[in-house]
Amino acid sequence: MFLIKLSLKNLLRHKRRTIITAAIIAWAIFFYITFDSFLLGMNDMVFQNIIDYEYGHVQVADQTYWDEKDELPLENLLVNNQSINQEITQIEGYQAHAGQLNFQVRLNDGVKETPVVGRGIDANQTLNVLDYEQYLKEGEFFKPGEYKAVLGQRLAEVMNLELGDYITLLTRTESDTFNTIDAEIGGIINTPNPSINQNVVFVPLDIVQDALNVDNKVTHYIIKLNNKNFRPNVISNFQNTIKTQNNNLNVYSWRDLDEVSITKSKQAGNTMILLIILTIAAIGIINIVILAALERMEEIGMMKALGLKEKEIIFTFVVESTGIGILGGIFGVILGAASVYYFSNFGIDFSLFVDIDMSTFGIPIVSEIYGVWNPWTFVYMFFFAIFGSMLASILPARWAAKKDPVDAIYRR
Amino acid sequence: MNLLSLENVSKIYHQGEIEVPALRGIDLEIEKGEFATVFGPSGSGKTTLLNVIGCLDKPTDGVIKFDGNNIANLDKSELAGIRRRNIGFVFQSYNLIPVLTAFENVEFAVKIIDHLTKDEIKERVLKMLSLVGLEGLEDRKPNELSGGQKQRVAIARALVKEPKLVLADEPSANLDSKTSEDVLEVMVKMNKELDTTFLFSTHDPLVMDYAKRKIEIKDGLISKDERREEVDVFN
Repeated sequence: MFLIKLSLKNLLRHKRRTIITAAIIAWAIFFYITFDSFLLGMNDMVFQNIIDYEYGHVQVADQTYWDEKDELPLENLLVNNQSINQEITQIEGYQAHAGQLNFQVRLNDGVKETPVVGRGIDANQTLNVLDYEQYLKEGEFFKPGEYKAVLGQRLAEVMNLELGDYITLLTRTESDTFNTIDAEIGGIINTPNPSINQNVVFVPLDIVQDALNVDNKVTHYIIKLNNKNFRPNVISNFQNTIKTQNNNLNVYSWRDLDEVSITKSKQAGNTMILLIILTIAAIGIINIVILAALERMEEIGMMKALGLKEKEIIFTFVVESTGIGILGGIFGVILGAASVYYFSNFGIDFSLFVDIDMSTFGIPIVSEIYGVWNPWTFVYMFFFAIFGSMLASILPARWAAKKDPVDAIYRR
Repeated sequence: MNLLSLENVSKIYHQGEIEVPALRGIDLEIEKGEFATVFGPSGSGKTTLLNVIGCLDKPTDGVIKFDGNNIANLDKSELAGIRRRNIGFVFQSYNLIPVLTAFENVEFAVKIIDHLTKDEIKERVLKMLSLVGLEGLEDRKPNELSGGQKQRVAIARALVKEPKLVLADEPSANLDSKTSEDVLEVMVKMNKELDTTFLFSTHDPLVMDYAKRKIEIKDGLISKDERREEVDVFN
């Protein structure tokens, strides 16, 4: 107890130094918590964007098609029949589903041409799964059989297109012959998902099936469930059911999507950067212990003369550093909580600071980013501050405690 | 009865490849209750002798018996154990801990010995501070005390655990003659009242005047060992 008391008194010996070191730790924790909150917020938004505007919760596709889906092939398609549609409704938590037909297309306005993703949809079904309707800026979604298209606002701006303009979609049929679809722009949408806004043209499914000569086929089904955090066995159970229809069919959760994995690897990368910042805080602790040991060399010598063992001297330094870690941890967590409170309520619009389109970096977010509360980060960071400070102090404390008592007393 | 005996103790320091002998085969016996001083010119080996006796340094060769046990070959932890219970130190620069009060500085030495209760420790510390004349100054920190008062705290710290031996390295070096005299009076009092063995190293003639035994050391060897029966302060 006496050694703990001595360590705590030593904390107050150089108040300014203690405060500065604790402030470095607090800053690192505050920064980590804030950044972590944004990363989680961004991830949530990315995942929500993917679910709400592109994929739904679950997709069903032919396994071979899925492996090559980025090439937009017209092979290994699914027959959109009553039986499979009936089967899909059996998935646990089912709310809605829709068949879609993705295809390669070059969008031509008579002057300019650009490659985009064509997506044949039954608007009625698709709007039950994806949240497009509220983001329809102009016009409306088409009905089956109408030669109309809906495209994203960004794409419309790039191509200088307006509602009522006519476009030509150049594509290839299943038998690899050229065909075109002429359509009037019936609607312009601006969703929070930039890839929808700038890369996709929606056309009625029956018109596309006819133009591509694929009969009543779709590339995949998108399914909406009542909760995005469904249990993993929902997928495996449904997988077993759907395979009775066609053994090549496979079920894919939104968690399996490439975009989700990429986002997670980005998060891992950012965590590494943040760990480097925390290492700087640990260096602050090492620095303060070495400084203290050098200043107190005669005292250390005296302690050894009194009969204190090396481990007891190490203990006094470790307790002192742990005290700094606790102080830094408390302030860091308080600052972090204030920051997360602010950003989770008010968010931040990065476009106010810099004119950056986040989609350029593969982040499908166009609106404000909100922070997310993650209590575990607070707990983890608080204990990280304490144990980090404690561990960082052991080596320099050991160095100090191992000093020869005679050299220490006489400051040789 | 011998508290301490040294047989052919030598200590050699190494400066690069050069060997510097500090002690060259010291034979010495110190009895319980002695009030002795080691004196000699700078670099003669006084401090090294005290460090070796005080278990702060290990001899290169020879036998050191403390209370009948050879301590020359003990490891660092065992030596720390002997210092903890049996040896008190007084240094010229006091080496008090600035964040602790006079009471706490003295308490520190006895707190690390486990067998006393809180009340016993308090009683013993207050008694010791009173014996060295610091009654009423218990709550002062070292920066609120004069040089003489600090040295008294250091003496109280050395004595509070009731050690068998107190080693004092130039205890008067930073003190004026009046304060030195006061501090020495305190040590004499402790020696008489507690029968504690004192061994000083010093250049100070005043300290030598107080000693009942004067051991002169030159070039790492004892050149003179003189006992005085009649010392005024002890009468």
